[in-house]
Amino acid sequence: MIVLGEFSLWIALPVAIWGTAMGFLGGRSQRGDLVLSAERSIYAVTVLLTLASAGVVAAFLGDRFEYWYVASYSNRELETFYKLSGLWAGQRGSLLFWALLVGFFASITVFQNRRRNREFMPYVVGVLQGILTFFLIVLLFAKVNPFERLAFLPANGQGLNPQLQNYWMTIHPPTLYLGFTAFTVPFAFAIAALLNGRLDSRWITLTRRWTLLSWFFLSVGIIFGMRWSYEELGWGGYWFWDPVENASLLPWLTATAFLHSVMIQENRGMLKVWNMSLVVLTFLLTIFATFLTRSGLLDSVHSFAQELTIAYIFFAFMGSILAGSAVLILYRLPSLQSENRIESFLSRESAFLFNNLILLGAAFAVLWGTVFPLVAEGVTGQKITVGPPFFQKVNFPIGLALLALAGIGPVIAWRRATRRNLRRNFAAPVIFGAVVAAVLAAMGARHPLALTTWGVGAFVLFIIVTEFWKGTKARARIEGEGILLALYHLVIRNRRRWGGYIVHVGIVMIFMGFAGAAYNVDVRKHMQPGDTVEVASPFGHSYTLTYEGLSVSVGRGQRNLQWQAIALVSVARNGKQIGSLTSEKRQYVTSEQLMTEVGIRPTPLEDLYIILSAVDDLDAAVNNDPKAQGVDLQVLVKPLVNWIWYGGLILAVGSLIGLWPSTERRRVEDQAPSEEPAVAGAV
Amino acid sequence: MAIFVGAVLVAGAVVLFIVQPVAKGLHASLERTEDELTETEARKRVALLALRDVEYDYLAGKLDEEDYRSLKGELTAEALAALEEDEKARSGSVSGAAAAALEAEIAEARAGLRSAVFCPDCGFANEPGSRFCSSCGHALHGIPAA
Repeated sequence: MIVLGEFSLWIALPVAIWGTAMGFLGGRSQRGDLVLSAERSIYAVTVLLTLASAGVVAAFLGDRFEYWYVASYSNRELETFYKLSGLWAGQRGSLLFWALLVGFFASITVFQNRRRNREFMPYVVGVLQGILTFFLIVLLFAKVNPFERLAFLPANGQGLNPQLQNYWMTIHPPTLYLGFTAFTVPFAFAIAALLNGRLDSRWITLTRRWTLLSWFFLSVGIIFGMRWSYEELGWGGYWFWDPVENASLLPWLTATAFLHSVMIQENRGMLKVWNMSLVVLTFLLTIFATFLTRSGLLDSVHSFAQELTIAYIFFAFMGSILAGSAVLILYRLPSLQSENRIESFLSRESAFLFNNLILLGAAFAVLWGTVFPLVAEGVTGQKITVGPPFFQKVNFPIGLALLALAGIGPVIAWRRATRRNLRRNFAAPVIFGAVVAAVLAAMGARHPLALTTWGVGAFVLFIIVTEFWKGTKARARIEGEGILLALYHLVIRNRRRWGGYIVHVGIVMIFMGFAGAAYNVDVRKHMQPGDTVEVASPFGHSYTLTYEGLSVSVGRGQRNLQWQAIALVSVARNGKQIGSLTSEKRQYVTSEQLMTEVGIRPTPLEDLYIILSAVDDLDAAVNNDPKAQGVDLQVLVKPLVNWIWYGGLILAVGSLIGLWPSTERRRVEDQAPSEEPAVAGAV
Repeated sequence: MAIFVGAVLVAGAVVLFIVQPVAKGLHASLERTEDELTETEARKRVALLALRDVEYDYLAGKLDEEDYRSLKGELTAEALAALEEDEKARSGSVSGAAAAALEAEIAEARAGLRSAVFCPDCGFANEPGSRFCSSCGHALHGIPAA
């Protein structure tokens, strides 16, 4: 099985090259036989990549430590569940996994379009196979072959990094990869449109659901990553602006911009060049993200020189994509003229445009902050860090402006808004937002930035709720339906629009949760059993935490676990006992590093979060010395953190509503492909 | 040995599968299943969408009466112009009699009928003389005014 997998990888490369060539040749010469061959090659490569991945999984399950990759990311004691996830635990496997996902999405695309949109398919297949070819070349020639063998047979593997032995970490990378890879389909269609010259919004309509799917997975993947960071990394936060996190945020920002700007092209026939550029940019950023996280460049600054092969291949690929797309767009420039123009600065069109500019500005700032230290280090050899303060300072106003636009966009008039129109639509929401901020201030919240965020958030929520209310009311009146039925039909008939509004609600919640961090409480104390620490919540109540003592268990629980030292803390709220929390230090068999497990008591308004920072005398404690019980405890109160997760959930529901296939739309598409009721007033 | 046989089988099957279309002359269709929008059609579509958005915004109370009237008037003129242009572009390929009939129809539409035309698809009450529903874009050919 394993050898067959390795062999499959080698056959896949010539097949992918063949498919790329046949796709482009077939499209150019309009030869159906070549195109059919190219389409079949997609299925073939997908099957081969599946075999190769099965080979890797088999190597993990069979504890085949003669393979470098298995020896580095697994050991005999690892739970089967984590062995299965070995496919994406490290760089080599995840590059293969990436290719596998592209293969699957490509196969779905070919199958879906076996009778439709045939004029696009030769080039779509060519582009998709080209991308697969690139990943196969990387896998086979950049010294990252997952099937590489060691010269000797180790008795056991080095095991999986304990921090990765967490369920969020098991689902977080594949979710992100699903997002990255799903975006290859819109990219392929965009390039195909440039090549075959069909530059109306057809390619956008065709790939809309793919874009949304990609966006959904990216968003959910990012939130999973935050959740993992919050629960597992043990420093009390969810986002550190480190390069790996930023790498996933970048394509999300541009994909969000793209999701919004396509609506202008569909509704107004504008921004065609811009949309093409955004697709290319987003695709490049997905590749860049893979490059940054999986080229080994980041986690191995010391082995910079060894890793250059893969960096060269990635740079060559990204460079040719960029150059090729730029040439194509320039070549088609005459056909990409706008059918309309923006009439006024105060209009929904310009709100969309601002949204795009802001998102791109954010993407640029994040990109700069991420790449600058790398470049600087590469050039000068000095390590420079661009820390969270930079990103926070830059992105705070950007985020706030975006948040405000999420409220302005839906209600400002298309074309041009008059002063009366503005007053009519914005007076109530602005007053509402101001009142909310004033009430919060009166209740004691004085942090200006947090207050602004909550005020703007309230403004946006007010607008969205009013939108739902007005739409439902209008529908109920016209159709004579009950309110609930009217609401249901309203959403069902235009899933993208109302799903989008629901996503906005989620985003508002997430931002409000971020702003809660302004009121984080952080108390550190050295404690002996029986000691108490008092922590005041920003909501007015106080927690009394009593350290009950340290208990050490050896060799229980996970097989990879050597021992765990568990600090038990009982918690009282305003003097009333409400339960207990634990935080641990853990020693894994395979890792020299000590791990920290935090204790979290979540409530809708705030989390109580404890971290066992240090144990005075660890050796004595592990040997159950009753005197070695002194610990350093860090207690955090984190207001509104849960709003981030709730917001993520709402966001996911909203995008699923937008994604859900609609029978109605299909009917309409069949009848009149150009009229699409679902886009009316879309935001 | 078994591995070798397996590998040869896989490779052979793959080669057969992808080379067969070229060798046997099996063709995938490359035809466009539907026609691309012409420039006039695209303009017509954009104009109609704009008209519908204004209707929606008015209905949802986002535009007041005055703004609505002025925008609607402008957009209706634009949409009609786009429609006419589109019909003209099309009539080039249609027979003379049909073209004349279309012209007559357009003239009639422009002259304006007395009362609203209800869309058979969504029930929206359209301006007199509407040829397409402002709410859903459904064609309103030959539907009598209420």
